[in-house]
Amino acid sequence: MSEEVSEWMSPRKRFLSAVLGGRVDRPAAGSATSVATIEQMEQTGCFFPEAHYIPEKIAGLASAAYEIIGFDCIMPYFSVWLDAAALGCQVNWGDKYRMPDGVSREGLGITDPNQFRIPEDFLYKPTTSALLEAIEILRGRYPNVAIVGKVMGPWTLCLHILGVKRTLIWSKIRKDLLKEWIKLLKEVSIEFAKAQVKAGADVICWPDHATGDLVSAETYREFLLEVHREAVRRVGAPLILHICGNTVDRLPYICETGFDCFHFDSKCGDPLKVRIIAGDRISLMGNINNPQTLLYGKPEDVMKEAKHALEAGVNIVGPECAIPTRVTNENLKAIVKMAKRFKGKS
Amino acid sequence: MGEASFLDRIRRAIIDGNIDGAREIAKEAINAGVSALKLVNAMSSGMVEVGKLLESRVYFVAEVLVSAEAMSQALEVLKPYLAVEESKRYHGKIILGTVAGDIHDIGKGIVATLLQTAGFEVIDLGVDVPAEMFIEKVREIKPDILGLSSLLTTSLPEIKKIIEGLKTAGLRDKVKVIVGGAAVTKDFAEEAGVDVYCLDAVEGVEICKKYVEGIK
Repeated sequence: MSEEVSEWMSPRKRFLSAVLGGRVDRPAAGSATSVATIEQMEQTGCFFPEAHYIPEKIAGLASAAYEIIGFDCIMPYFSVWLDAAALGCQVNWGDKYRMPDGVSREGLGITDPNQFRIPEDFLYKPTTSALLEAIEILRGRYPNVAIVGKVMGPWTLCLHILGVKRTLIWSKIRKDLLKEWIKLLKEVSIEFAKAQVKAGADVICWPDHATGDLVSAETYREFLLEVHREAVRRVGAPLILHICGNTVDRLPYICETGFDCFHFDSKCGDPLKVRIIAGDRISLMGNINNPQTLLYGKPEDVMKEAKHALEAGVNIVGPECAIPTRVTNENLKAIVKMAKRFKGKS
Repeated sequence: MGEASFLDRIRRAIIDGNIDGAREIAKEAINAGVSALKLVNAMSSGMVEVGKLLESRVYFVAEVLVSAEAMSQALEVLKPYLAVEESKRYHGKIILGTVAGDIHDIGKGIVATLLQTAGFEVIDLGVDVPAEMFIEKVREIKPDILGLSSLLTTSLPEIKKIIEGLKTAGLRDKVKVIVGGAAVTKDFAEEAGVDVYCLDAVEGVEICKKYVEGIK
């Protein structure tokens, strides 16, 4: 008898059902953040940095998540800089081994939101249009695989545009000004999300790094809770919130947003604790540890952690965040192997 | 108002992240004849308290940055007086930076200011500095001291990586490596193979002075 559960859902149907907390033939496997690796770049011939801004290269590398790893979804936005670049931030696109990074720690160097205009051709800038085109390519090629789009939320855009230090300091001493920026930039996130849905994305991942390493749960509530509720109302597609780091203290607020799914980090601790707090208010994705388990562990370590996450009630098992590019395909495949074998809590 | 009261108030202003308050207290204290170095020590003690609050998750990085900004602005007021108090000039060269994965320039900024005031040539590489850049700069600039700062425990492996990189490049015995920051402990520093662990900015500067005196 096969060790694997018999499958009757397409990867797309399985992934979407899992995001929405519905029934599945077996747990979904995948990630809303980058799973691109050097190994996959070599196998697909699509390398960083071109795979950040050339549509065919983006689509080629992204498809490895399904074709090579066996995930139920494809997510073609590997960095956190495409939207910020289209807004004018200078980006160092890195190389095969290194993810892109902003050139300046000060962001755009402007502080007055009245001096900032969202470019009218935001969706037609090289980076944004490349992602939209890549989503169209993938939609055409993979009708049965879930395509996950991604937009940076306004908090993350503030970190890019105002700089990390300024954003964090303003969250304490210039609250009104920071709220004005967030109000302005949320329009970018929402419009980019809608455009990706129109291009063929089934689901949108919305990273907004108001993490427990940087700010308090109350800061999340004060600056983002309402904005996230608005995004849920206006985007018109299932939304996955991604916040790195320990987010347990703000999880009750996150559950109030209406986001369909929360992609969470291993720093939250035991996924069972996260599931207990979340109850059935939100689906969960994650939370296999990147720097230790996926990067340096063996496939059996990955399977063990994947099993633990699934037993805790995680709906979509996968890495906790964008993975280091040196992670092996073998370790990523171990996640899928466990999802295919999982027959419920033993 | 007595000296103790000024020192206590400025320490409190740092803990509370009171930027305007810290600057004003610094001005008042100087006018009242309080030693600028003592004020810096009191502020450093406030920052240690802030670090503890961060550790216990009462404070987050946002609060720490506001406290650091308060200290930085008060330091601007104190700088000219520190220079006057500092009769001896040190002519060492030091590269400073916050290691990769860490965006904090709090402690490093304080150390940089104090070192410059003492006459050191300070090359500040900024924050989130990759190990390769530290090594490249040590090779290029040939500093007396390399100062590494780390506030996040997740960035600690970077310190080990830098030490290993220096060894591989044949530069380890050509530069003194000092570390500091909320995440670093004396035990870790020893294990990682760095030369000196500094408890706070003032101690860090004293260590740099002694080291440069020893080699000149």
